[in-house]
Amino acid sequence: MLLAATSLSKRFGGVAAVRRLDFHLDPGEILAIIGPNGAGKTTVLNLLSGVFPADEGRIVLDGVDITHLPAEDRCHLGLGRAFQVVQPFPEMTVRDNLMIGALFGSRRRSLAEARARTEEVLALTGLADRAAMPARDLTLAWEKRVEMARAIATSPRVLLLDEVMAGLLPQEADEMLAVVRSVRETGVAVLFIEHVMRVVRDLADRVIVMDFGEKIAEGSYADVTGHPRVIEAYLGMEEAGGA
Amino acid sequence: MRWVGPAALCVALLVPLVPAGGYQQYVVQVATFVLINAAVALAWDIQARTGQLSLAPAAFFGLGAYAYTMAALRGVPLAVAFLLGPLVAGVVSLGLGIVTLRLQGLYFAIATLAFAEVVKVIFKELPLDLTGGAVGLTAPPLLGGHQTGLYYLGLGVFLVVVVASLAVRHSRLHYAFTAIRQGELTARVLGVRVVRTKLLAFVLSAALIGMVGAYATSRLFFVIPEDTFGIGLSVTALATAIFGGVYTTAGPVLGAVILRSLEEVLRLVLREGYLAVYGVILMLVILYLPGGLVSLWNRRSRDVAGGD
Amino acid sequence: MMDLFLQTLANALIQSGTYALASSGLALAVGVLHIVNFAHGEFLMVGAFVAYWLSVLAGIDPIVSLVPAGAVMFAASGVIYQASIRRVLLAPELNALLLTFGIGITLQNLAVLAFGATPRVVHTAYQLTAVTVGPVSVGVAPLITLVVSVTLLAGMYAVLYRTGVGKSIRAVAQNRTGAHLVGLDVDRIYLLTFGIASALAAIAGSMVLVRIGASPHMGFGFVLKAFAIIVMAGLGNLTGVLWASLVLATAEAFVRTYVPGGGGAAEAVFFLLIFFTLVWRSWRTA
Repeated sequence: MLLAATSLSKRFGGVAAVRRLDFHLDPGEILAIIGPNGAGKTTVLNLLSGVFPADEGRIVLDGVDITHLPAEDRCHLGLGRAFQVVQPFPEMTVRDNLMIGALFGSRRRSLAEARARTEEVLALTGLADRAAMPARDLTLAWEKRVEMARAIATSPRVLLLDEVMAGLLPQEADEMLAVVRSVRETGVAVLFIEHVMRVVRDLADRVIVMDFGEKIAEGSYADVTGHPRVIEAYLGMEEAGGA
Repeated sequence: MRWVGPAALCVALLVPLVPAGGYQQYVVQVATFVLINAAVALAWDIQARTGQLSLAPAAFFGLGAYAYTMAALRGVPLAVAFLLGPLVAGVVSLGLGIVTLRLQGLYFAIATLAFAEVVKVIFKELPLDLTGGAVGLTAPPLLGGHQTGLYYLGLGVFLVVVVASLAVRHSRLHYAFTAIRQGELTARVLGVRVVRTKLLAFVLSAALIGMVGAYATSRLFFVIPEDTFGIGLSVTALATAIFGGVYTTAGPVLGAVILRSLEEVLRLVLREGYLAVYGVILMLVILYLPGGLVSLWNRRSRDVAGGD
Repeated sequence: MMDLFLQTLANALIQSGTYALASSGLALAVGVLHIVNFAHGEFLMVGAFVAYWLSVLAGIDPIVSLVPAGAVMFAASGVIYQASIRRVLLAPELNALLLTFGIGITLQNLAVLAFGATPRVVHTAYQLTAVTVGPVSVGVAPLITLVVSVTLLAGMYAVLYRTGVGKSIRAVAQNRTGAHLVGLDVDRIYLLTFGIASALAAIAGSMVLVRIGASPHMGFGFVLKAFAIIVMAGLGNLTGVLWASLVLATAEAFVRTYVPGGGGAAEAVFFLLIFFTLVWRSWRTA
């Protein structure tokens, strides 16, 4: 078990965004979290990456209790995070954006080592052609790619991806899928949030379904999409097994 | 543009040798003030690169100046007294930084401005035999007050700041500073130790400014709270760096050469109020040329984080 | 003992009126435009000089001059807003800070150029008279400034909470985009609010002229104290400004009275208040 959360809870005002959530992640595993809007998925990633502290519960990364560690320490221990709302450093080039992750991420690298790592990730993610562009000049699809590449550049043991495929054309999404798979090949575990069901089906080894801050189902893609509570949660929205 | 730096250094080295006849002394004096302004502006810029706007350069300049003067007057060897300048400024900035650098940018700016004002009040109000009160103290000159010697010492002080700036620029700190400035939360999630890095920048900058303060005092021969801790010094530093181009080494230096020369001309006409020029320049640059002068010829080459 | 205490309290109350007037404008601009105006103190200085010259040249009483002083600064701030402030509203907040800092420095030094740095005072008949209530003696001039301040602040609250314009201003303050969507002209409301905020500073300036005098550098001390007040109140919190003004003025008055050689120490009180407020906040949220 690489990453484990037990009884994770977070309230905003009177609203429980996440309620007593338990889950775990094994090395090299790809786990998807799905659920309707407002189910608390992004909050889970924020709790894991340390954007804000959990009210209750414990988060353990490879035997180390990281529940109370600040975000930067969690990154050093191997949590890489890509935001749903892309946050590139706008005035930096794509290359320098990745450099930040390579330099300060989970391995302490010299400038030269970080540069090598950056070029490696630029090639892996298909960003080499755009490496010299300022990030603010990119389209959203490419910004998403930078967002993910920067997290990969930190050399994480667990990669947290928040809807990095949303709004992409099918071909672009396929390229991203290939990148995630190749990262997993190196033993990295991936936890991702996704609305595009095709991506969940093709990528996830295991799926957790959340609704109103709670886990309502867990299992393979086929298991959860057939689960009555999941169908109920998605009722009135797109058909759960759609796409 | 690689030749610009060495060429400028050669010119700086030759200044005291320029045959300017009766104006010789005046030329060296103006050149010294250019070096002082450039060093303060550049040192201020180093911490501005983390996106934290300190309005307290005058406080650290004054602390360095007073540390040198008070120690020298008590018989401490001048070289040691000089080193106390950066030390005292650095230690005080560490304390101030620990409490204020967690604050959002605006609160930090307000806190530093208020701090600068209060340090001035404190030095005014301390017992006369300690700080000289509102009248200040006479400072023992370094190098026996030898003008050319002091000019070269000033050049040395300036070069220390330049080397610090370049060292930051070519190290991992440059990436950390730029990342913090452009997105603090993202920087944290990517592993940048934000508070520690900001603190480092703040203390480094303050210690450098304190060093310039100690040097400038040995050149000016006195300290007075109203001048040494004066808001004018902070305004000059900010306007100089912003006019030349923030987040660069060349910008603040270029700004100092132009603005300080302009100031000399203005001082011939106006006895007070020349700071209005700095105010106007600050306004115009923020409105029309936020990258400062250097952005004019840096526009096309921005492969490095945030220009240089 | 008790007499001194009451006198100190009375002085504090008078001073807090001026502080509240000076910082309400600053808080209004922060709350609505989300701009901390570092030139606010210089706007106060401009008001003081307008009133000063009207008194010297036209013999107009400085209390009466609060109207022209406010009007002049209202108009001038409109020009400043159109020419500069509105261009940085969407820029990083530090740009606005530097811009207003530049405006303040410019105004301050233009005043030095125009009028010299020496402080100037006006002379009115009522400045020498005082009202005595029991053990407490208060000058008529300070008393008038307190009454004016309270009246104006009450007027400002009435406008903000009882009129359509006030409602629009509060709507824009809460949600710029939303206000725009329901058809409010956000830019005009910004212009108006900035004008009101600046006029309040100028009026506070004419009050300070009556009690103390005018000088090009007078604004800086006031803006620092106004910062302390709005920081204590919480940025943009208008009602908080009232009690925060009272806290600052009271603390200063008591330091001045009871601490030996406290005249200078009183000038450091505002900083301690800023400092401890900020530290307390940063540790509470950390």
